[in-house]
Amino acid sequence: MVNLTIDGKQITTAKTSTIYEAAKENGIYIPVLCYAKKLLPYGACRICLVEVEQMKGRLIPSCTTPVTEGMVVTTLSDEIRKVRKTVLEFLLVNHVVDCPVCDKGGECDLQDLTYEYEVVTNRFEGEKFDLPTDEVNPLIERNMNRCVLCGKCVRVCDEVVGYGSYSFINRGFETKIATAFDRGLNCEFCGQCVSMCPVGAILPRPFKFKARPWQLKEVDSVCGYCGNGCTVTLGVKDNQVQTIRFNEDTGVNHGNLCVRGRFGYSYVNDSKRLTKPLIRKGGELKEASWDEAFATITEKFKTAGKDLGIISGARLTNEELLLLKRVSSAIGTQNLDHSGGECYKGLTEGLKETMGISASTGTFPQVEKCDAILAIRSDFYETHPVFGMVINQAIRLNDAQLAVIADKRGKLSKLPNARTLIHKPGCEINMINALCQVIIAEGLAQTAGLQGITELTKALADYTPEAVAGMVGADAEAIKKTARELANAQNAAIVVAYGLPYTAYSKEIAIAAANLALLTGIAGRDGSGLYLCGEKANSQGAVDLQIIPGPAGLGAQQVLSTAAEGKLPVLYLVGEDPLVSYPDQTLVKKALEKTFLVVQDLFMTDSAKYADIVLPAASFAEKEGTFTNAERRIQRLRAGIKSPGEAKTDFAIFQQLLDKLQKTAPTTPAAAFSELTAEVSGYTDIIYEQIGAQGQVWGGETLVPVKKVLVPVAGMEPLQADYQLLVGSALYHSGTVSTRSKGPMSVCPEPYIEFNRDDAATFGVTTGEMVQLKADGVAIQAKVKVDNRLPKGVLFAPYHFGELGLNKIYKGQSVIAVEPGKI
Amino acid sequence: MFKEFAKGLSITLKHLLPGNTTTVEYPKQRLEIAPRFRGLHRLVPAQDREKCVACYLCPTVCPAKCITVESEENEKGEKYPRVYEIDLLRCIFCGYCVEACPVEAIEMTSAYELANFNRGDFVFDKARLLKS
Repeated sequence: MVNLTIDGKQITTAKTSTIYEAAKENGIYIPVLCYAKKLLPYGACRICLVEVEQMKGRLIPSCTTPVTEGMVVTTLSDEIRKVRKTVLEFLLVNHVVDCPVCDKGGECDLQDLTYEYEVVTNRFEGEKFDLPTDEVNPLIERNMNRCVLCGKCVRVCDEVVGYGSYSFINRGFETKIATAFDRGLNCEFCGQCVSMCPVGAILPRPFKFKARPWQLKEVDSVCGYCGNGCTVTLGVKDNQVQTIRFNEDTGVNHGNLCVRGRFGYSYVNDSKRLTKPLIRKGGELKEASWDEAFATITEKFKTAGKDLGIISGARLTNEELLLLKRVSSAIGTQNLDHSGGECYKGLTEGLKETMGISASTGTFPQVEKCDAILAIRSDFYETHPVFGMVINQAIRLNDAQLAVIADKRGKLSKLPNARTLIHKPGCEINMINALCQVIIAEGLAQTAGLQGITELTKALADYTPEAVAGMVGADAEAIKKTARELANAQNAAIVVAYGLPYTAYSKEIAIAAANLALLTGIAGRDGSGLYLCGEKANSQGAVDLQIIPGPAGLGAQQVLSTAAEGKLPVLYLVGEDPLVSYPDQTLVKKALEKTFLVVQDLFMTDSAKYADIVLPAASFAEKEGTFTNAERRIQRLRAGIKSPGEAKTDFAIFQQLLDKLQKTAPTTPAAAFSELTAEVSGYTDIIYEQIGAQGQVWGGETLVPVKKVLVPVAGMEPLQADYQLLVGSALYHSGTVSTRSKGPMSVCPEPYIEFNRDDAATFGVTTGEMVQLKADGVAIQAKVKVDNRLPKGVLFAPYHFGELGLNKIYKGQSVIAVEPGKI
Repeated sequence: MFKEFAKGLSITLKHLLPGNTTTVEYPKQRLEIAPRFRGLHRLVPAQDREKCVACYLCPTVCPAKCITVESEENEKGEKYPRVYEIDLLRCIFCGYCVEACPVEAIEMTSAYELANFNRGDFVFDKARLLKS
């Protein structure tokens, strides 16, 4: 610790602090333009100049100067004031003062400082900038005439996102921020630069001219897309979510968001939202009253009794899931499941079997301090972009070594220190087994308290790095190096994502990862962690609440196959669109046709078209409640807007259903949460009202495994086919709901099939041309996207789009043998 | 007593003489309006559009909350007020809107004859404000 004096106040602060940070901690105000909490000090704007007794004769930039013992700092004097005012005058020489039409007006740092320092005239003369604005891309508006060259966008894109879209170009007065070759922006569109810009140079285009900042009501809630659980601050006006506001003070994400979180909100305001219950009469869905709908539903549910099938989505709040469970037990059915039933088995069966828990063992902020990180499947960045940014931070700030076990390259492979171990599709387990084998063979394993080490050693005999490398095509030396890194690291993390497109061997991959985590001691050690991250906002909550089939119940896949046989009288789909997102479309279609179908959703989804009753539900922006994110963090949602028409929150729907079934239901989400804490292990002692801005992690920062059992899992045989299709997530989308949002759709509007350059050349196709994939006699068609991240012979298609019909050929397998052909 | 009576009556009679009345024979006769009189608002037109850039400062400053602005982007990518309405029944003619305007797009005219038959007619939309 260091002692210093700022403005006569005695301050003790950390040795690593800068003057600015020390002052801020103690409530002393120093103006800044180029400083940001999450970025490295830069010192570009010279607004934060202060006087230091020991360095008389010149002013010192407080944001880049570290504190030293006995320092005496003055933050405001006549001279400082004069210099700051001069700096502002210099900035305003070229800055176009178009505040009336600039959307930043009202929250612009330059505007505020100009006001504070009363810069009403300018002693200097110069030309105003007249640069062309970037009108090409649909999401991020860049008007470089307003730029003050603070470099925050350049730094955030490099340091946090790891993309590096921007750089300074030219020299002197000509200096400006530009992309490579000064073209339009074509990037991940995460909008981090938008959130960082202190002036109106980079703005969100969907919000252009919509409202002024002071008109917006800010509501802190949790993003409804992926399991990362980022805090989003809704900017609400006229009962619409107008934009997502920048907020770095709450949540686990420090204001970082991805394209979905920042630009994917428009589905909430969509005019196509369902507003009234629909009942099928005479073959057509007609508007009806809630009473009528509830009456029919209760009657049908009661008649079905234990044969009712319930499939839920994982974007319901914990409280809603609790009520859904109550509904299922009131009816007496055990056929309750979520998210396709297969993909989360890594948690409920895999981790349960090996470690006795069913959740990630660490928290996201811990990953920033890791020395070694292993990402299994390159799609991790695509499913959880903001966690990907944390991994990038670990590399930048902590020089972490990242290894990616993947069937294709991805964003993670592009990060510095990244080593991508490309293997044949469907063989992740072989690779993890090889890592385990190296760790045991080289005596690096931490065997204390582990059960089943001998069995595992025996079972892994065939998985020497050389053997695995020969079989699945990775580099044996790289495998060994990765294993050593993981075993020797003080803090390490293993990350895996699960979700609907990854239903194959999800249990086995989790067991393999758990073996590795146990052998390296990662599981349960403070600072390290095994992360199994759910695809949806409340995937972890659904697992915690046991939205899984009872002992005599059917899982989602069995429910659908039973229904397809005509043996399931009633099916209740809550926030799921299985026709688009579940494997095996033919089966799902048959199932939906043959049963009395009740669908509860925001939109008239493809599955809802087969429904006999459709109930209009509410989006995350209209709900109160909690989500549990992939690191077990329970965070509160707050309602920003009212639901359209007669649409009700899922909570209200379940409440009324329970009421009709003569059961009592908790009256508010808070009451439901307190009932929930009594039922769900780990949630005990958490009080709804006390869940703060950072949420509350159940089980503590490090969840200690209950047991440590090593379970051998067999690897897979690589598929023998010339062309193999991988199914996965696209960065711009999450589930199917993002396809109803303008932001994600403006950058990724249609399905595509990704080809390697060589394969594209073989078939003579280029980006944008139509191509056909045939598998088992069924063909699907989509446009080609040529990229260089896939190995030869491997194709990729995202699963979000209904029009592609990907699940006509995707039946839950890890990789699909296909025959591509040009149309 | 008679003396006082005559004195008083003479004042009355004096005022009856032409040129000595204080009553203005409105509407035949009108007072001259002071140059800074705050009457009906007017939106100032520019060449091919209104001067207003929809910055929302006037509805923000308005103490009577009688101004409604809705901004939008036009074909040229400029910000313009798609809706600009003043509810004169709520307006207190304080002139803050004129003072707040950064582009001198709104001013107050000398028009004060604003009576009307319907409540709806007191809401002046953009077209009417541009013509006033």
